[in-house]
Amino acid sequence: MPTTSLDIFRYQPDTSDEAYRQTFELEHEGDITILDAILRLQDEQDGSLAVRYSCRSAICGSCACRANGKTVLACMSQVEDVKAEFGTETIQVDPIGNFAPLKDLIVDLDPFWDKFKSVKPYLIPDGPAPERERLVSKEDMQKLFRESACILCAACYSECNSLSADPEFVGPAALAWGYRFAGDVRDGQRKERAKLYTGDHGVWDCTRCMYCNERCPKGVNPRDAIEKLGGIAFQEGRSLQDGGARHAKAFLVSMRTGGKLNETLLVPMTNPVKAPFDLPFALKMIRHGKAPSPIPHRIQKLKEVQTLMKNVKETI
Amino acid sequence: MATQFAYYPGCIAEFSSKELDQTTKALAPLLDIELLPMPAATCCGAGDIAEAKPNLYLTLNVRILSQAEEMDVDILTICNVCTLNLRRANKMVKEDARLLEQVNEELVKAGARPYEGTKEVTHLLWYLATEAGLSLLEKQGPRGLNGLRVAPYYGCQLLRPSSVMGFEDPDKPQSLERLITALGGEVADYEAKSKCCGFPIILAREQVALKESHVALSQSRDAGADCMVTPCPLCHLAMDAYQRKAELANGTEYNMPVLHLPQLIGLALGIDTATMDFKRHLVPVDRVLETVGV
Repeated sequence: MPTTSLDIFRYQPDTSDEAYRQTFELEHEGDITILDAILRLQDEQDGSLAVRYSCRSAICGSCACRANGKTVLACMSQVEDVKAEFGTETIQVDPIGNFAPLKDLIVDLDPFWDKFKSVKPYLIPDGPAPERERLVSKEDMQKLFRESACILCAACYSECNSLSADPEFVGPAALAWGYRFAGDVRDGQRKERAKLYTGDHGVWDCTRCMYCNERCPKGVNPRDAIEKLGGIAFQEGRSLQDGGARHAKAFLVSMRTGGKLNETLLVPMTNPVKAPFDLPFALKMIRHGKAPSPIPHRIQKLKEVQTLMKNVKETI
Repeated sequence: MATQFAYYPGCIAEFSSKELDQTTKALAPLLDIELLPMPAATCCGAGDIAEAKPNLYLTLNVRILSQAEEMDVDILTICNVCTLNLRRANKMVKEDARLLEQVNEELVKAGARPYEGTKEVTHLLWYLATEAGLSLLEKQGPRGLNGLRVAPYYGCQLLRPSSVMGFEDPDKPQSLERLITALGGEVADYEAKSKCCGFPIILAREQVALKESHVALSQSRDAGADCMVTPCPLCHLAMDAYQRKAELANGTEYNMPVLHLPQLIGLALGIDTATMDFKRHLVPVDRVLETVGV
């Protein structure tokens, strides 16, 4: 039987304010998950070891943790697979990131739930209920298929780089739920949701690090949902309402007028108020040749692009 | 015969970071690569057009792929963001014949060539970090980096999502390390090498972005790096052009020269420094040139 060292983050605020690490040796069958291993340790070696879990079947989303730094569902990750992946006999187990620990592997999820609630993650239909159910075509439901699979495990939140820099960022999971309802044909709040999700710490704060798509154990692809919310914001007339939206708008204007990014347009369009006051930085950039010509480049066959921009319809 | 590619430098390398384009063009013949221009190619949209008009993003990127198909060559990029946008569009239409048909209908209506889904998109780093690529470097002889301590900085979009990128394990990338070592440099390793530089939101949310770049800048400094190298001109802008701002915002000093990947190779292979145009960097690279002995 294989033996594995589990180097676990410990935090027992009842006895000490200091977190520490503890290494456990566990002899086990070949096919054991990280959650199984932790529960065995709890049962056999240290009853105070705290972990949050429920279904053990990758459905409830309770047991997310970091194994050798990578956020996983503990019940979905085989100990031997993790060891093979990292080429090590030791697995470091830590609580998920971007949260404050409460006890050992259990974190304070309150900010996560508060943000989840803030996106109104429920259907708000228009008008009174119809006599029969609201029918949705297969095609329309298909658009929400991925986002509907979210189990709120917070694996995406754990490694979101925007959140690490800005703890108020609403985060990938909440925004994925936002799209799940903003994109639902039965919902009557598309315009209101577009506004709700695109203020400070919302859609335009996503830094596109792609960790959420990489880590989601359910293939929700929260970044793609955030992108679709941006598209909905544009459809709902919010393309000039935020620096982030105007940044994207500048790309569209550049595309139509030359086919390539017009960097000279990008800065003042994103930040019309602040840009003029950032003169020292602008001068430094100019001195180093970083300010491109204000005359936009024009690609060959630009007409094709302009026609596409006129013709292509969005289907978010 | 040289390997031909449809060369897609991306907007930043063509305009504000010309030094990257210049160096790549100077490097290509040494690596037996012929870079064919794409005069009708647009911007990839950098994730911004995808965030405003997703169908338009897809159509515009497929149009670029189709141009490479017409030239009968694969696309070579030198930017993380372009690589992701083009590869993602390629994957979407290659895996969904009906979607490709819809996109092609639009392309044909606009007078553009439809795409058959036969081309690939690769980044210069990927091309060189294979056995065949490294042997191209070896052929150039021994000049090397003279033990320069280089912090590899991958950024995000050349690694993630791995379902689209797929060249290497996004959590344990090694391609830059392989190149640094092959060129006679030393790797200054640090944890944040694949964390975000913050560039996509640097204009709209500057203070958040500067906290993001701080992580890799401070860690690479603490790892004793002489410089950082990146395969992405957007990461370069965040790490180099905005470095002083990041220092002020985070109350620390990094003093970290940042090289574009082709510049690092160029230094090792003896491309002249005027071509690599280090004057265009905001953080001086003097200590790098001194160590390499240029």
